[in-house]
Amino acid sequence: MRAFLNLLSLLAHGRRFRGVCLLVAIPSITAQLLAGSASEPPVSFRNDIVPILSKANCNSGGCHGAMAGKGGFRLSLFGYNPEADHLAITREAQGRRVEVSQPGLSLLLTKPTTTVRHKGGKRFDVDSEDYRTLARWIAQGAPGPQAGEAELSTLVIDPGERSVRIGETLTLRVKARFSDGRERDVTRWAKFTSTDETVASVDGTGKVTVIGPGEGAISAWYSSRIVIARITSPYAAEIPDSVYAAAPRTSAFDSLVLDQLKRLHLQPSPPADDATFIRRASLDTLGRLPTPAEVRAFVDDARADKHARLADRLLSAPEYVDFWAYKWSDVLLVSGARLRPAAVKSYYGWIRNQVADNTPWDRFVRQVVTAKGSSVEEGESNFFAVHQDPESMAENVSQAFLSLSINCARCHNHPLEKWTNDQYYQFANLFSRVRAKGWGGDPRNGDGQRQLYVEASGDLIQPRTGKPQPPAPLDAPAMAMTDTRDRREVLADWLTAPSNPYFARAIANRIWAHYLGVGLVESVDDLRASNPASNERLLAALADHLVSHRFDLKSLMREILVSQTYRRSSEILPTNREDRRHYSRFFPRRLSAEVMQDAIADVTGIREQFTELTLSDGSTEKTAFYTNSPRSVQLFDASVTSYFLKTFGRNQREITCECERSNQPSLVQALHLSNGSTVNDKLSAQAGRLNRLLGEGVDADRLVTEAYSVALSRAPREAERAAFLRMFQEAGPDQRASVAEDLFWSILTSREFLFQH
Amino acid sequence: MYDFLAESPQDRVRLCGPGVSRREFLQVGSLAAVGLSLPQYLQAKGAGIVKPADDRRSCIMIFNLGGPSHIDLWDMKPDAPSEIRGPFKPIRTKSNAFEISELLPRHAAIADKFSLVRSCHHDGAAVHDAGWQMMQTGRRFTGGIQTPHAGAVLSHLKGRRTDLPPFVVLPQLMGRGGGNLPNGQAGGFLGKAHDPFALMADPSQKNFKVPDLLPPDQIGAHRLERRRKMRDIVESSVAQFEASEDARLMDENFHAAFRIMTSEKAREAFDLTREPLKVRERYGMNRFGQCCLLARRLVESGVRFVTINTFLTVFDEITWDIHGSKPFTSIAGMKDIVCPMYDQAYSALIEDLSERGLLDDTLVANLSEFGRTPKINPAGGRDHWPQCFTAYFAGGGVKGGRVVGASDPIGGFPAERPVKPGDIVATIFHSLGLNHASHLPGPGGRPFTLTDLGTEPIRELFT
Repeated sequence: MRAFLNLLSLLAHGRRFRGVCLLVAIPSITAQLLAGSASEPPVSFRNDIVPILSKANCNSGGCHGAMAGKGGFRLSLFGYNPEADHLAITREAQGRRVEVSQPGLSLLLTKPTTTVRHKGGKRFDVDSEDYRTLARWIAQGAPGPQAGEAELSTLVIDPGERSVRIGETLTLRVKARFSDGRERDVTRWAKFTSTDETVASVDGTGKVTVIGPGEGAISAWYSSRIVIARITSPYAAEIPDSVYAAAPRTSAFDSLVLDQLKRLHLQPSPPADDATFIRRASLDTLGRLPTPAEVRAFVDDARADKHARLADRLLSAPEYVDFWAYKWSDVLLVSGARLRPAAVKSYYGWIRNQVADNTPWDRFVRQVVTAKGSSVEEGESNFFAVHQDPESMAENVSQAFLSLSINCARCHNHPLEKWTNDQYYQFANLFSRVRAKGWGGDPRNGDGQRQLYVEASGDLIQPRTGKPQPPAPLDAPAMAMTDTRDRREVLADWLTAPSNPYFARAIANRIWAHYLGVGLVESVDDLRASNPASNERLLAALADHLVSHRFDLKSLMREILVSQTYRRSSEILPTNREDRRHYSRFFPRRLSAEVMQDAIADVTGIREQFTELTLSDGSTEKTAFYTNSPRSVQLFDASVTSYFLKTFGRNQREITCECERSNQPSLVQALHLSNGSTVNDKLSAQAGRLNRLLGEGVDADRLVTEAYSVALSRAPREAERAAFLRMFQEAGPDQRASVAEDLFWSILTSREFLFQH
Repeated sequence: MYDFLAESPQDRVRLCGPGVSRREFLQVGSLAAVGLSLPQYLQAKGAGIVKPADDRRSCIMIFNLGGPSHIDLWDMKPDAPSEIRGPFKPIRTKSNAFEISELLPRHAAIADKFSLVRSCHHDGAAVHDAGWQMMQTGRRFTGGIQTPHAGAVLSHLKGRRTDLPPFVVLPQLMGRGGGNLPNGQAGGFLGKAHDPFALMADPSQKNFKVPDLLPPDQIGAHRLERRRKMRDIVESSVAQFEASEDARLMDENFHAAFRIMTSEKAREAFDLTREPLKVRERYGMNRFGQCCLLARRLVESGVRFVTINTFLTVFDEITWDIHGSKPFTSIAGMKDIVCPMYDQAYSALIEDLSERGLLDDTLVANLSEFGRTPKINPAGGRDHWPQCFTAYFAGGGVKGGRVVGASDPIGGFPAERPVKPGDIVATIFHSLGLNHASHLPGPGGRPFTLTDLGTEPIRELFT
C-alpha cells in the first residue's frame, strides 16, 4: 500500500517523468534487489554511501555541496558532515528521497540515473555497482552513521612512485585500511587530480597518461584523505652516468639534487665564476651587492675552503640582521597600517633582536605563539594584535609557521587536505582564551599600548554542533577541556617538536626557496599533501638538517652556501634548457624591490629618503622613524610611502603570504627605471658617486671600469670597454659628464644589474 | 574537464584544426615566448582563428568588482516579498523589453543601447577571486593551468595595433579578494609577455599623468638614442637570461617603454588634459569616471582591450560588496555613492562612443564575479551569490534593448537559458572576430580551446 501511495505521489509530480514506461521498469529492479538484501552485509552510510556521493560529485561545491544546496537538496561539501547528510537524505523532502520498501522509487536513485528529471544530469547507471549499493542500503532501512563503526585508518596508492616515458600510461590503485583491520580497494571511489597537467593527466578511473617531461604527481582523494603517486617523466636527452658521477659534491644536498637530475636526464651546468658567485651569495644573504674590494679579495683567494670562509663572513655580517629581520617582518606582518608606531617599533625590534642573536627558529616561534604582556614592551605580542580572534590566530599561526592554509576547513572539510572542519575548531579553540585590553575597533586608534593576557576559561563554539571542540593542535591528541594551562603552551610543544612533520619542512622550504629562487614546494605558502615537493628526499634532508642542528637557520644557510647546487652557473646547456624546478642550473631572478632600491643607492652613492606612511585607506601621515636615511631593507614596516617599492612589488603585509610580494617585471617598472627619479636624480646628484668621480677628473677608462665593478661586480670585457670608450671619444670632452651619466644609466637599467644570476 | 583529455596525444594534435600542424603550433608558442606579434597574427589569420575583417573591433570590459546586487539593479523582483525585493523600485527604460532600478536613471535613458543577460551563473566557490578568474578567462584554474585573460588572448593572437600596448588595465590590477587565488588579469599560460599594462595611477588626480612616460628634460632625443645604444652594449652579454621568462619580459618591457616614450601619439592617448573640461565632467570627476574616459581615448588610439576595475579591492572601500556591515558596504552606500558615480560614467561612455561613431567597433562588457543573495541578510545587506546574476553588453555588434535569459521569481537561479562564464568570454571573442573553438598553445604545447568545449557565444545578442 505504501508503495502504491508513493507511486501516486511520484505521479503527482508527473511532469518530471520522461515517460511512464520507466515506471514499469522500477519495481522489477526493486524486487530483485530486495530479494538479495537480507543476506547481504550491512552497508555503511559513512564508508560506503558518502564515497559514492563524493565520487559522483553530488556533494561538490557546484552541486548539492554548495552552501545553498541545489534544487532544495543540500549535502555537506565533500561529505564532511555525514550526520547532516543522512538527515537531509532520509528526512527532508517528506522522506521522498529514500523509499525503504521500494528503493527503486527513491529520489536518491531516480534523480542521478535521470529516471526523473535531474538538472545535474546522469551521475550513474541503473545497472551500476553504485546503484546497487545505494539500493541495498535503502532496503536495509537507510541506517545512519553508527557510533563505533570502523573508520578509515590509512589510504595507500599503488604505485606510489614510478618513472614513465612520455606517451605511456599507468593505472593507479587506491586501497583503504579501516580501523577494524578490513582492507578494501577503493579505486573506483577515489577522485584523481593531476598536480601538473603539463606532465601527466589522469582520468576518473586512475588511468594516468604522461604528456610531457618533468616531475608530476597524481593525488587521489577518498573520504577526506589524500594520497600521492609521483610520476617521473625523463627528458629526451641521454646523458652518460659519468656526468653525474664526476659532478663535484660539497654538501650532503648535492647528491640528492644530482640523483634527481639523473632520473630526469638533466645535465648540471658548470659552476659559476667567483665574481658571479660572490654577487649572488651577498645579495641572497645580506640583500646587498658586494663591494669591489670584497669581490677582488674573493677572486684572489686561492684557499681551497674559500667558499666556506665566505659563507661564515656573510652570515656574521651586520647587514645579515637587517635583511633577515626584514624577511621575517614580511611573514609576521609588521605594518603601520595595522599597528600604532610604538607597537610597530617594538614588534620589529623584537624580531631584529632574535635575528641578531640567531635565536633558533623553534624558540623564535615558541615565543611568538605564547606571547603575553605589553605591546610596547613584549614586541612579539603584537602578532596577536594583528590577528585578534581565535580563527585568525589559528589560520595565521598555521600559515606563517607551517605554511599550511587551513582556512577552507573553517566552513567544511578541506578539499585538498586531510584537515576536517572539527580539526579546525579544535585548533582554533587553542586561542579562545587570548585576550587584550584595547583590542577591537580601528587598530590605528590610541597610543598602541595593549596588554595581552590569557583568561582561565572560555571556549570557541564549533558552529556545526553548537558545542566547543576539545582543543588540539591539528593532528595531535586533544587536551582535556578542564585543563587550565595556557593552551598555547601545548600548541608550542607540538609545533616545535622535532617529530612535527610540517614545522621543519615549512621553514626549510622557505630558506631553500630564498637561496635557489624556486621552492621544493611551490609556492612556499602552500605546503599540503596534494602539493608534493619536486624532490621529496631533498626536502626531508633539509628538514632533518634543521632538526639535528637545533633549528639553527644559519647552519642550514651555510650548508646551502657551500653546496655545488647553489654554486651552479646560470648558463644554459641544450640538455637543461627546459628545467624550471630541479636546479640543474641557477635560475636568474629579478632583484626584490628593497634590494634593488638599495643597490641603486649604493651604485649612485645617494640614499633614499623615507618620511611618510600610507595607510590602508589611502591617507598619509608623517613618520620620524627614518631620519637617519636607512637602507630600504632597514625599514620597520611596509606602509612607508615609496613609489619605487610599491611599483617593484614589495610585500604589503596585509595577509600572511609570500605571494604578496611580486618580483615580476612590468612596463611601469621599465618606464620608472628609464625616466623616473630613482635612477636619474641620483645620477645627477651633486653628492653622488658620479659627480665625485668627475670632480676627481678620472678618465673615461676608469669611469667604465668603476661603473662595471660597482654595479655588476666584474670588470668590463674588452669589447664592452672599447665600445664605451668609442662613445666617449665620439661625443668629445665637453660631453664627458653626460656620457658618463648615460654609461651609468645603461648599466643600472641592464638586466645583468636588475637580475641576480 | 576538457573533452580532449580522454584522447591520446596524437588526437590532440589533430584537434588543432585544419591546416595547423603540430610544428606550426609549437612555432606559435615559441614566438609568443619572444614576444613577437605580427607573425603570430599572420599565422593566426592563416589558421582561420582571426577573421581579418574584424580587426577594427576593440573591447572595454568594465569589471564590477565586489559583485553588484542584480536584484537591486538589473533584475528587479517588484512582486517578490519585501525581504527579497528590497527597498528600491524599478523604472521604465528606453527599451520596451526591460525595466531597471531607480538607482540607474541614466542607464534607463540609454537602455536601447545595451542588452542584459539575466541568467548568468557559475559553479565556482562564492569567493570574489574565484569569480574574477572565471568571468575574465572563462575557466576555473585547475591542475596548474592558468587560462589567460580574454585581453591577453587578443594580445597573443593580434599583437599591438600601434605603439600602445594591446591590453591595458585601469587604474590598476585587482587587489585582495580574500580568497588568495589568481585574479585572472594576466597572460596565464600564454606567458607574462601578454600581461596587461596596468596604469598604476588614478586619472582623476589633479595632476594626473602616467608616471615616467617621458625622460627628464635634459635627456633629449640624441641622448635617448645614446642611452639605448649603450644599454645594448651591456645587454649583449647575458645570453643565459633567455631561458628565464622574467628576464625576457624585462627586456620586452624596456622595448615597450621605449616605444611609448618616443611616440607622441602614444603619449597623447594617456593625456586627459586634451579633453575639454565639459567632457571630463560628463564622465564624473572621480576615479571610475576618468578611467572610462581614458578607456575611450585608448581604444580610439588603437588599444585592443581595456579592462576597467570599478574598484581596487572589496576591503575598506565602498564597493558593490554590500554585505551590510564593515569592512564591507551597506545598501545605502551603494545607493548614495556607488550607483550615481557608476551610472554617470557608464552612460557618458556609451553616449560618447556612440556620438563618435565608435560604438559599433567597441564592445563594452559589464561583468561581475557574482550576484547577491535574493534574501536580505540580518545586517540589511546581501551576500555573495554565484547561482544567478546579470551581465550586460553594448556595442561591438550587440543589438541593444534586449534581454537574454531570465531568472526565477526571486532571482535565485536561472529559469531560462543559463549562461556560464565560458559563454560570456566566448561572446567577447565572437564580437572581436575570434573563433572560440580554435586553439591556443597551452603549457608544454598542449592545445587549449579559447573557451571550453560546450560553451557558445550568446548569439541572440548579435542578430
